[in-house]
Amino acid sequence: MRYYSGSEARLRRAIENTLVSIFDGWSYEEITTPTIDYYSLFERGMGRSQAHHAFRFSDTDGRMLAIRPDVTSLVARAAATLFAERARPLRLCYVAPVFRQQPRSRAEWRRESMQIGCELIGVNSSAADIEVLAIVCEVLERLKLDRYSTITLNDVEVFNGIAEQLKLTPEARAEIRDLIDKRNADDLERFLAEYSHEPDARAFVQLFQLSGKRNILSDARRLITNPRSQAALARLERLWSVVESLQLADRFEIDLGDVSRLDYYTGLTFKIYVNGAGARVASGGRYDGLTASFGKGEPAVGFVFELDTLTEVLAAQASESVVVGSSSAEGAQLTGNNLSDLFVAARRKRQLSERVIITASEVAQ
Amino acid sequence: MTELTIAVAKGRLHAETLDLLTRAGLIFSSEALSSRRLSIQDESGRFRLIFVKPADVPVYVEHGIADCGIVGRDVLLESDADLLQPLSLNIGACRIVVAARKDAPETQLGMLKVATKYPRIAARHFGARGVAVDLIELAGSVELASVLGLADCIVDLVETGRTLQDNGLRIIEVITDSAARLVVNRASYQLKADVVGRFIRCLDAKQRCASDD
Repeated sequence: MRYYSGSEARLRRAIENTLVSIFDGWSYEEITTPTIDYYSLFERGMGRSQAHHAFRFSDTDGRMLAIRPDVTSLVARAAATLFAERARPLRLCYVAPVFRQQPRSRAEWRRESMQIGCELIGVNSSAADIEVLAIVCEVLERLKLDRYSTITLNDVEVFNGIAEQLKLTPEARAEIRDLIDKRNADDLERFLAEYSHEPDARAFVQLFQLSGKRNILSDARRLITNPRSQAALARLERLWSVVESLQLADRFEIDLGDVSRLDYYTGLTFKIYVNGAGARVASGGRYDGLTASFGKGEPAVGFVFELDTLTEVLAAQASESVVVGSSSAEGAQLTGNNLSDLFVAARRKRQLSERVIITASEVAQ
Repeated sequence: MTELTIAVAKGRLHAETLDLLTRAGLIFSSEALSSRRLSIQDESGRFRLIFVKPADVPVYVEHGIADCGIVGRDVLLESDADLLQPLSLNIGACRIVVAARKDAPETQLGMLKVATKYPRIAARHFGARGVAVDLIELAGSVELASVLGLADCIVDLVETGRTLQDNGLRIIEVITDSAARLVVNRASYQLKADVVGRFIRCLDAKQRCASDD
């Protein structure tokens, strides 16, 4: 439960406008999604463990509904149904609040948070991955956050390849993923003791200590031998070469330990951290399997920025003027006791799009 | 310029934590240590320590107010915080156990009453084996609950076992081991990768050579 007003509200709106205009510049079309939809849709899209954070209730027929905890599931459903016949690729963007129940202490704790994101659907190419990363970089540049931020890159297939080789049960897989995600080397080593005969078990322990630039990819290739992980590492290396040629390498880190918690990612994943925010301000990745759960499987990649976190960071930097310009320009003060004259004058100025402030001292009628 | 803010749990781990940090090269004036200030700077000015209740360490670190924290694993198991836990520390070793009166019957009819400061750990432990329990959450002196009959057994932290012994309780089973952990904020881990990485390696090296003596 959070109010924004005055300069903070202006700042928030300006950030939103900045992002939307950048998305427009890359030819993304805005899509408005339903606020309330069937719970089963989100369960299919996000996986049960994430969807159960949704606020749920039932309609008069007893069907379970939810207030949207996620926009991507809704966009994927639209792509597979409403836009099934449209030419590919689809480039869609949205600005929408999502609603989640979180334990109170979470740094990301907000029941309602405004998400601004893009989805590029129908292309499975490095070009698509780089396109969304380029948009993300432009956002950070335009908000003057590029020098204060880090974008971490990973490919979930690196982890999936190792997990497959160890023939992990779904429970063991979830447990290990959680331990890597928390960089919990100690418990991970204990957990992996029973898999010690597998060569790639050792790779697991080293996996999350691998974070850095290009050089860590060669380390990873030496440690991790299964073909599925190797293919993912090769993809990351190709991506990194382009990042280098765009002279953006100082903004990025490869972080093989950043194993995403969302189940729908199938390839590239990335997260953005900014100085002054304890939690990430944006995340995204490739989710080639998601639209299939709505009837039309096709590749897709996307990302989402957290508007509230961005606003907090930029407000703290007091960089409003940088983003907003002079939004609080004084308007023409219109006074007078004759209400018709006053508002004729006001409407004339408004037709010329001039700013007005009515300061009539109202006499009680 | 402060490079790293470290949240230190007051209480049980306090002295051992300061000792470890000193061995890792942080220098604190005796004046700062003896004062009642809740936030002190090390002599180099690069590190700031904040002293908070153990259960609050995960909260400060998750929100990024502190970049790192040193806190018992027991607290982390009880907390929901989304933190990185890159290093186990050799300090504050203890066990989380189920204990009951020495003369308590082996089998129990009806709902088991369990008193504890660790409701989540207790619920998870008994839940995993399908035992229905009635949890009674207490803030301290948990042993009394069993002695005076408020509960059939307790789930509590045990260091030496002395308190249990003195109060006529015995350990029924050990749920898990616990020791101090270094926790790190997710954003700090990326944005201050150099400083955090150096700090982790330094702590790790110091405690390794300490255990070799």
